[in-house]
Amino acid sequence: MNPRMGSGFYLVSGLVLFHLFLRVGLGFGTETPDLCVMAVLLGSRSLSVPAASALGFALGVLEDAFATASFGASVFAMTLVGAVGAKVCSRYDSATLRFLTMYFLVGKWTRDLLAWVVSDAAARSPFVEQMFIASPLMALYAAAAGVAARLLFASAFREA
Amino acid sequence: MRRDFLVPLGFVLASLIFLVLPSGTQRSIGHMVRSSVLMPFIRINETVTRGRARAQDFDILRNQMDSLLTFAAAQSTLAEENTQLRGLLSLRNREPSRFVATTIIRSGTSGAENVFQVDAGSEAGVLRFGPVMTEVGLLGQIQEVYSHRALGFDWSHREFRVSAMTVDGRIHGLVQSQPGTFREQDRMVLRGTAYLSELEVGTELVTSGRGGTYPRGIRIGWVSEVAETLAGWSHSYYVDPAVYPGQVTHALVGAGPIRSFPFEPEEPSR
Repeated sequence: MNPRMGSGFYLVSGLVLFHLFLRVGLGFGTETPDLCVMAVLLGSRSLSVPAASALGFALGVLEDAFATASFGASVFAMTLVGAVGAKVCSRYDSATLRFLTMYFLVGKWTRDLLAWVVSDAAARSPFVEQMFIASPLMALYAAAAGVAARLLFASAFREA
Repeated sequence: MRRDFLVPLGFVLASLIFLVLPSGTQRSIGHMVRSSVLMPFIRINETVTRGRARAQDFDILRNQMDSLLTFAAAQSTLAEENTQLRGLLSLRNREPSRFVATTIIRSGTSGAENVFQVDAGSEAGVLRFGPVMTEVGLLGQIQEVYSHRALGFDWSHREFRVSAMTVDGRIHGLVQSQPGTFREQDRMVLRGTAYLSELEVGTELVTSGRGGTYPRGIRIGWVSEVAETLAGWSHSYYVDPAVYPGQVTHALVGAGPIRSFPFEPEEPSR
């Protein structure tokens, strides 16, 4: 494996493992940022559109393993976020901190929006409260975590 | 260029198919992922939960045991009296329920907010739709049973229903969950009580046993306020739950009457 590609791969894998450790291993919920969508967004920066959608699909299946209502909502949302993320990053300079912040913020919010749209109407929260209060806060939290990771692992970010 | 469009489109279509798969197939996929990729993390969760329970203050456990012993001693003649009365009335003996002690494993992944896994399955006698309860009241119900594990949901799940009554058995109704604006505001609501039978705030509600899913007498919660009144027809009441799902680490799972044990391991229902 190309060492430059390798560092990005390890960063994305590390985020996924850390996410599963926090959310499944320790049972934390929204107290921890959504590192899974961060992994998809980061992976999409260096992957082609088909590969990024495959990554989103795979991580979405992991996310939905415990879902009894709206099974598949995360799969759908993560797949689209992966594909669109890769397309956006191929068109813009995705290395700047400003771009990354907006990219994480909009990416996480979009993921929540897509999941809300296809979720069972009886199981989801009201649209305004979910998409204009809860979700923006979670997006801010995830973006802060993403930027912190960017500052900590700057070299890996150049590739991821 | 064509591949760049068709492959992602294929994945998006596949994800849409996931949404409309029969629930049995969805359960199988979820179980497959849980028992393979996620299993190491589930094991960590089990270890952490058990460790946390072991670290619980000894004095609290001692007090709980003392309370139970006092209660058991006070009720010691009840079984004998009950047998005699049933004999006088020529009533059949009620089948005693059996419960299995389990560890509750919760995942923080999205969509799993009101779902939990227990570390006992059909081999321990756990049955589908079996009640899950703690020492203070009803937590939820088992939905999927596998050989060594089972998946259930707590009372905040939209499909949760339980027949309820007041402790004196005078007023009956159906308790179900009512989602709040935010997840933290989810609560239970008692519906279908007779219009002329008003409930005081603080009235305790227990399972009535109707339908046979939940044994009679498990505490559900306490009436907190009137939710809705249909003129001349019925009252609905909000109910403060006896059990807050996020705090539960251990629970008892209903495993059916003692006479039917051991059970045949069964495949999850489709």
